[in-house]
Amino acid sequence: MNDELRLAGELRERIDGLFGRSLHIRTFDSGSCAVCESELRLLSSPYYDLHRLGLFFTPAPRHADLLLVTGAAVRAADAALRKTLEAIPEPRLVVAVGACALGGVFEEDELVHGRVDDVVPVDVYIPGCPPSPLALLHGLLVATGRLEEKVQALSFDLRREAVA
Amino acid sequence: MLWFLRGLRKGVVTTRYPRERDAWTDGLPSPPAFRSDLLTPTLAGRLVDACHSGALRLEGDELVLDLGSCGGCGDCVRLGGEAVYRSGEFELASRDREALVKRIPLGGAG
Repeated sequence: MNDELRLAGELRERIDGLFGRSLHIRTFDSGSCAVCESELRLLSSPYYDLHRLGLFFTPAPRHADLLLVTGAAVRAADAALRKTLEAIPEPRLVVAVGACALGGVFEEDELVHGRVDDVVPVDVYIPGCPPSPLALLHGLLVATGRLEEKVQALSFDLRREAVA
Repeated sequence: MLWFLRGLRKGVVTTRYPRERDAWTDGLPSPPAFRSDLLTPTLAGRLVDACHSGALRLEGDELVLDLGSCGGCGDCVRLGGEAVYRSGEFELASRDREALVKRIPLGGAG
């Protein structure tokens, strides 16, 4: 068991090392209002310049390492979402972007799942409505192990932070 | 070439994030942070009612903030007076969905 954990850790490190230099992103809109997409598009602008970090958008799932899903996971997109994920070669990452994808906006009903989790396994969650391009960059760097998560240490309780 | 010179003159440069955090990011929409010692059950109830995205809920004597649902609209900050502030945090990505759910104890009297 310990051996398996160690091997899994080593594999994770190797994958992170490879993805850290070059990561191709396929985006998937599962019923988003397109504001998340507009923030995503800004990542390609000269100001954010995601290429400097070795991140690239690709239209082809076969060329992608990471599936980035926006929207509330409408049921009509289920098959397309699953097929897109299957078309991405292993090892692959899945990132859910925005409050809709994280289950914050739509409740589950006959039209939507309300959260991307229910359709495909998610590795990293990026909250925000919409998340700013810098929040997206942070999330992508967390997904590839290049930045540490910050949110676990935050309590959002000012009194406790003042005491600590 | 012109855009390059114009960029030099105006000092337009690519952000240095993640090496440096830009000063303007303090103004980004961000989830609320609470002064739990000033947070009364009455106020917490009003905040829950005011939240558009259902990011706030009451559970016993705790106010539960789901960062995954919060859109950073700031209505709770305007309503909460001295008890609620903008957190200014935007680096909220997490591998663990549960890590995005924060529990704030209700410390205020009344």
